[in-house]
Amino acid sequence: MNNSDRETLLSIKDLEITFGSGNSKFVAVQDVNFDIFKGEIFSLVGESGSGKTTIGRAVLGINPTSNGQIIFEGKQINGKISSKEKFETERKIQMIFQDPSASLNERATIDYIISEGLYNYKLFKSEEERVNKVKEMLEAVGLLPEQLYRYPHEFSGGQRQRIGIARALIMNPDLVVADEPISALDMSIRAQVLNLLKKFQREQGITFLFVAHDLSVVRYISDRIAVIRAGRILELAETEELFKNPIHPYTKSLLSAIPIPDPRIAKSRKNIVYDPSIHDYSTKKPKFIEIKPGHFVYCNETEAEEYKRDLK
Amino acid sequence: MNDENILEVKNLNVSFRVRGSEIEAIHDISLNLKKHETLAIVGESGSGKSVLTKAFTGMLEQNGRISHGTIDYKGTRLSDLRVNKQWDKIRGKEIATIFQDPMTSLDPIHTIGSQISEVVVKHQKKTKKEAKKIAIDLMEKTGIPNAVKRYNEYPFEYSGGMRQRIVIAIALACRPEVLICDEPTTALDVTIQAQILDLIKELQEEYKFTIIFITHDLGVVASIADRIAVMYSGRIIEIGTCEEIFYDSRHPYTWNLLSSLPQLARKGEELKSIPGTPPSLYKKIVGDAFAPRNQYAMSVDFKAEPPMFKVTDTHYAKTWLLDKRAPKIQKPEVIQNLHQHMLEMTAEN
Amino acid sequence: MQESLNQAKVFEMGTVVPANNITEDDFTVVSLNGKENEKIDTPKYSYWGSVAKKFLFSKITIFMLILMLVILLMSFIQPFFSGYSLSNVGNINDFKARYNWPSAKYWFGTDANGNSLFDAIWAGARTSISIGVIASLITEIIGVIIGSIWGVSKKVDRIMLEIYNVISNVPSLLIIIVLSYSFGNGFWNLIFAMTCTSWIGTAYFMRVQVMIMREREYNVASKTLGTPMRRIIIRNILPYLTSVIVTDISMALPSFISYEVFLSFLGVGLSQNVPSLGRLISQYSPYMTTYPYLFWLPVLVLALITISLYIIGQRLADASDPRTHM
Repeated sequence: MNNSDRETLLSIKDLEITFGSGNSKFVAVQDVNFDIFKGEIFSLVGESGSGKTTIGRAVLGINPTSNGQIIFEGKQINGKISSKEKFETERKIQMIFQDPSASLNERATIDYIISEGLYNYKLFKSEEERVNKVKEMLEAVGLLPEQLYRYPHEFSGGQRQRIGIARALIMNPDLVVADEPISALDMSIRAQVLNLLKKFQREQGITFLFVAHDLSVVRYISDRIAVIRAGRILELAETEELFKNPIHPYTKSLLSAIPIPDPRIAKSRKNIVYDPSIHDYSTKKPKFIEIKPGHFVYCNETEAEEYKRDLK
Repeated sequence: MNDENILEVKNLNVSFRVRGSEIEAIHDISLNLKKHETLAIVGESGSGKSVLTKAFTGMLEQNGRISHGTIDYKGTRLSDLRVNKQWDKIRGKEIATIFQDPMTSLDPIHTIGSQISEVVVKHQKKTKKEAKKIAIDLMEKTGIPNAVKRYNEYPFEYSGGMRQRIVIAIALACRPEVLICDEPTTALDVTIQAQILDLIKELQEEYKFTIIFITHDLGVVASIADRIAVMYSGRIIEIGTCEEIFYDSRHPYTWNLLSSLPQLARKGEELKSIPGTPPSLYKKIVGDAFAPRNQYAMSVDFKAEPPMFKVTDTHYAKTWLLDKRAPKIQKPEVIQNLHQHMLEMTAEN
Repeated sequence: MQESLNQAKVFEMGTVVPANNITEDDFTVVSLNGKENEKIDTPKYSYWGSVAKKFLFSKITIFMLILMLVILLMSFIQPFFSGYSLSNVGNINDFKARYNWPSAKYWFGTDANGNSLFDAIWAGARTSISIGVIASLITEIIGVIIGSIWGVSKKVDRIMLEIYNVISNVPSLLIIIVLSYSFGNGFWNLIFAMTCTSWIGTAYFMRVQVMIMREREYNVASKTLGTPMRRIIIRNILPYLTSVIVTDISMALPSFISYEVFLSFLGVGLSQNVPSLGRLISQYSPYMTTYPYLFWLPVLVLALITISLYIIGQRLADASDPRTHM
């Protein structure tokens, strides 16, 4: 697919996010550039401390950015923007949190939790309409309308995560940031949640920024994947392209670490360990280079030549 | 006791007193652990997998007890031990445990090195000087770079993966016969997980200990396990060799666990999912515990608890599907030719 | 039962398991009711219902509750019937009425003026309890409101911290005494003097609690849903703090009552004609050895009031913490 034909929903340009100041200044994210197209599931994959969650939260406006732009539907949404504009984008960009027990208000009923956004934006004409909307949403995520007045702790982990999905999606958002939405769940529940997200993408054309630490999960769900390490995006490609032709050694190492549920293959497989010192960036500085159409790698020109040669 | 076995569990029930009622966390489990093997115990949270191994080291919570059955370890009846003094001879020395969160086993205010040497002095009867040498040796063996320097560092100066290596080093300092790994990689990043799994395998080659590996992720154990026991709701519902479980599983729950692994899913296909949630322990189980979530459930599953059926000498499954009267049911398509399927999937990358 | 537990009974795959209640018909696949799996089996949870259940569970609580009810009823109803007045010296010349030890006629005995101590104590308790309750309520209401704003606004935080640093370094008793002297004696003047600065302690305490809570994930979630800070405080944060607020009240109540006692002992605070436990205790303290009942009975009632209020408050605070509802 030619990416230039597709409509860009979110565009991140030269993003830098730092925490602290002076001597304790810590650069969490730097030189991050990517576009998310309308209707796709874009995954940001990296290990703990890679900055993936920080980027997700910056898109939502929770983490302040120190440099660069976040452009949503053609308008910049980071830095100094009016509170009216901020309020408007807040409805359009929603979030699904990692830990379903920490992210729900334990003292509120499911009815209030799911309606919270509706109240804020007055997205209903009558009380009856609101309740109906909530009930429809509950059914859409596979819960029962009769559970409206129950409290979060009465639900199991998987059900709670679906409540979290319901309150985000009832807002009719354009973009949903899903921050490791399944890593706190039991194995048998994970598939339910992944299928649900996929369903909303397919049926309502919702765009997702899916943040994960595990490549095996995102292969099934995402259209394009960006691999991030130590605050930098190292490789970005369409999902199958990334799995077929991983270029950056770190991506290769991540792929080799995916547990293989097959004893014969798993027992003979070698685990590739990534050593960042193999890159010599002392003379030629690295950039984000398009090695193949739509396939970007963070490398310098010498490496780019090598990568291109290996592809052939 | 069979000579091959290092640990034998017979008809074990473990129950807890909660708010005045008795809750059964482990129901009628029989299990043999063979010398030098790696047995993986796979189950979701609440399946009882951790409770089971806590019973092996006398670490059940205050309100828990073995209500039925026996545990034998090399001629000692563990299920009869009552006082901590008796357990001290077993715990750590004979059966050591590595937990999910390495900080539960590390003391934040002592240096890494002193924590390992202390164990060496106590268990291997060495002088302090010798112990330091052994400790540094263990740190190198568990893959700590620059061990001599890092000997004097504190736990907070170590990353999560490095801390878990230290916990393994401490466990090994006691020269245990059995090493229980309770989700040792769950909190770690995937690349670190792969490294720790490799490390455990290498160390087992060298030190010849027996491993019980507890995890909720069936995908993780394919590379490490010799045998796999699948637990659900306090019961072992299927047990067999690693290959039998992955290539020839018989219980619908095992089928479900396998087919819902995202590694198996092809793009564009719906990922197999298991409906509902695991049963609460407070609810009394009638029939097959998995029946309410089982798409292949038969009326009998709601009436009577299925017995263990023998598939091969090493493979057992607890499902009525193996009764003669049951209809012939094919397991889900994705896992019918799992090996072939995985070969294709991995060949692609 | 024992039979079914014996797992030595393993069946070969493909055999017929002998059991009386199982027939061929049982081996038909039944369709799965998806919705059934989502059902919640536990009875419906209600927060205040669980608080009440937990609170009333303990016998000590019930005993204290009854004790407190009796004290409250006596203090707020008995004075209407006795018509006790501090300035009534009608019996002063009746020698038979003076210094009576507790008896069937005078339950708590009488004093130098021939007044019944029983009447005096309840009239005094009414004042003391009223002061405690009103002062605590004012303190908590102002403290919680200002503390909540303090905890979320950086601007307010900067100003309030300065004010707090100044006020909290002056002993609160000193402030109350100075204010009482300058405003003169009187019921409402005393309450004003007590609550003038007391709220700042509660507000600071709330600030810390709110600061701990506000970064919690579920509040971040509310922010991403566009919820204004005011509603986050009211719907998300304060409900979580019910238990700490109740604890704070249960400590404020007895302390205000003892402030009154102490001030009356010094002779400041209430007007001359208002009876209170503090005044009784100070008035009768010279009789500690000669007529000990005159001193000890008011002290005993004071102790019963503060202890019962404190214990009930603590139990209520525990019960309102949902972690105890398990």
